[in-house]
Amino acid sequence: MKTAVIRTSLSLGNVNLVLGLLLAVFIMVVTLIGGALVPHDPFLVDMGNRLQDSSATHWLGTDQLGRDILARIVYGAKLTIGLGTFAIVVAILIGVPVGLISGYIGGKVDAILMRIVDGILSFPDFILAIAIAGILGPNLTNLLIAIVLVRWIVYARVVRGLVLTEKQKEYVLVSQTANSSSLKTIRMHILPQVIPDIIVMAAIDVGKVILLVSSFSYIGLGAQPPIPEWGAMLNDGRSYFQVKPLLMVYPGIAIMLTVLCFNLLGDGLKSQFDIRRGRGRI
Amino acid sequence: MSILVVDNLSKQYSKNVHALKQLSFSLEQGESLGIVGESGSGKSTLAKILIGLETYQDGGITFQGSPIAPKKRAPLRAYRKNVQMIFQDAASALNPKLPIWKSLLEQLKNYKEFTPSFIDVEGLSDKDIARELLGLVGLDSSLADRYPGELSGGQKQRVSIARAISLEPSLLICDEPTASLDVTVQVQILTLLKKLQQQLNITILFISHDMRAVTFLCERIIVLKEGSMVDQFELGKLYEHERNPYTKALLNAASLD
Amino acid sequence: MSNSLLTVNNLTIESRSGELLLKGIDMEIEKGEMAALIGESGSGKSLTARAILGILPEEMTVEGQILYKGQDLVKLSRNEHYQLLGKEIGIIFQDYRGSFTPYIKIGKQLIETIRTHQSISKKAAKEAALLALAETGLDPKRVYHSYPFQLSGGQVQRAAISMTLALKPNILICDEVTTALDLMNGEKVLKYIDKARKETDCAVLMITHDLAQAYKWSDRIHVMYEGVIVEDGPTEQIRFHHQHPYTKKLCSSLLSLPEERQASTTEGVYSL
Repeated sequence: MKTAVIRTSLSLGNVNLVLGLLLAVFIMVVTLIGGALVPHDPFLVDMGNRLQDSSATHWLGTDQLGRDILARIVYGAKLTIGLGTFAIVVAILIGVPVGLISGYIGGKVDAILMRIVDGILSFPDFILAIAIAGILGPNLTNLLIAIVLVRWIVYARVVRGLVLTEKQKEYVLVSQTANSSSLKTIRMHILPQVIPDIIVMAAIDVGKVILLVSSFSYIGLGAQPPIPEWGAMLNDGRSYFQVKPLLMVYPGIAIMLTVLCFNLLGDGLKSQFDIRRGRGRI
Repeated sequence: MSILVVDNLSKQYSKNVHALKQLSFSLEQGESLGIVGESGSGKSTLAKILIGLETYQDGGITFQGSPIAPKKRAPLRAYRKNVQMIFQDAASALNPKLPIWKSLLEQLKNYKEFTPSFIDVEGLSDKDIARELLGLVGLDSSLADRYPGELSGGQKQRVSIARAISLEPSLLICDEPTASLDVTVQVQILTLLKKLQQQLNITILFISHDMRAVTFLCERIIVLKEGSMVDQFELGKLYEHERNPYTKALLNAASLD
Repeated sequence: MSNSLLTVNNLTIESRSGELLLKGIDMEIEKGEMAALIGESGSGKSLTARAILGILPEEMTVEGQILYKGQDLVKLSRNEHYQLLGKEIGIIFQDYRGSFTPYIKIGKQLIETIRTHQSISKKAAKEAALLALAETGLDPKRVYHSYPFQLSGGQVQRAAISMTLALKPNILICDEVTTALDLMNGEKVLKYIDKARKETDCAVLMITHDLAQAYKWSDRIHVMYEGVIVEDGPTEQIRFHHQHPYTKKLCSSLLSLPEERQASTTEGVYSL
């Protein structure tokens, strides 16, 4: 009977996970192989070839400065996905240890750390990011700093909550009575319970961050021309929307597919880990 | 010689909530002492204090002649090697994400200088040591690679026992170790504890609400009620009429008629 | 039998993967009797209760009959089953915390339950609730005005039973009601159930793994093992003259008190 139950949970999760993985493979193929197949320089201005339709040389046509759109999309993919992943990794590296320490040690340490977290959390993160990017100046590095500052808090909060429940488990108590160091107890008993949740959160978060980076670039607070970030490309294409709407459609589709991909992966992984029911192991 | 002396131990959770009220008793080397009481009698709090998971306000604990300060870490290391505990809920006492052998060896790995006398560890790999430990509690050595989810409740409790005795503690605290098990399994676990106690000369502090289990394992019994000791007697004197009415009530609840 | 209130005929339950969880259970519960269904975890005793209550998971297939007052409960729709629940068949679970909503006072919840099944005024319902609580041996006023967390486990369990009994069911199914309680509190709960049973002539099906409890309180014991009732009979018979090897094993697992140990050498009943 047990196997039957597990099987159903897998098949339900797999719909999302399989779709997400397929999309991920597609995106990877486009970025890695597509870039090699169409060896155009995404920055090369060629005013003689502006606003062209698709052709054998320029598969998706060219933009208002005659640059190859596919090359720019591909370059933008590496940039956007890379940035999103990087921001989340950094947020995790800060947030997870803070959450672990706060939850495990508790007491005053917890009180101080959580007040800081609450303080930052009380601002809507989009507005906070705008403020930070505004103060530091509009470019990608500063945008990244802003995103990390906003996102690590969420990880710290979630991890702390998980640690508080885990800490009550008898095997954690046993570990303490076994004279294991706090570090060992955390590594051996608490971290493995926390990691699946972090992976799921991170997958969904990368999608969110990509959207955030693009929105910021679109309103001019992120990537600056001529960097082919998708949001910046959307912004570029806006003036030519009447003449050539595809200039906005292509980066739009790219953003949509990528965000969808990460959301599907996140949901799929969630069912796979079956976190809520505490079943299965990674 | 007394292995453990608890002297005037008091614990308060808040102003009016007393978990333990001036509790004093001592435990002789090699004996098994039962502590009986209802839920809320403070018996689990006592276990947690003795194992160093809770602090206390007043009184003192002396173990093998030296006083225990529960706040300092250094003397705790030696103390914790000698005092181990078995928890009630076997299911949650094992990390579901670790294979049995890893859970089993956690204590031993923290005391690298120590080798158990009942296993010839020479040339054995970690996993082999785990297998030997499993054999000691009557489990098949093939369970070493399994995960807790694949074991029955009784098997899990045996693993917990193996883990607790891996350091050859002088004192083993058992907090309701059979409460969540089926009756036929309860007997097996209690019999195992009895056997190990004789084999390894362990002192046992057995905490339970079940008079039947306590009288099965223990030679001496302390009755706790609302944090205070109301009765203390040798097993043979259980039915004597000087027993506290509360002891009689507990006994009556356990009787069949 | 004319006196039979609930008759289970050849009850078989199959899981979706085709595993037989109950293999042809036959059982009769008479009016006003205290029947114990005893077995270890996984023996199928709780499943039997769930089948009677009609709260089995959808994917299980049920065959056989559960006759109550001439109607076959197996064939009832979920809705019809719900109508019977509470009013005719009461149930109490092991987890007493689940019986009450934590943030509403017990009295209010009692009134609500009584009024969903009987159309009486709020005042009359309050009187009924206090009356029911008084029966538990607890201070009715105090319990009435308490939140569940202000009472001990045993007290909440007794209040929950009073709520079930206030509806005057014909059968009360107690699924491991004392497992989460210590012996003393368990004893009080059972004493109350037994008293209520004698006063209202309500039959009790006590599902438990605790042999001592079954010996002490039941009139009849059904021993269940791996989805089969291997032996049943009056309590005295099961206790002293059991036949089946499993019953033998189960009965011999009962730890004896020192007093009984002396007795057992003469009678040779439960030895270790």
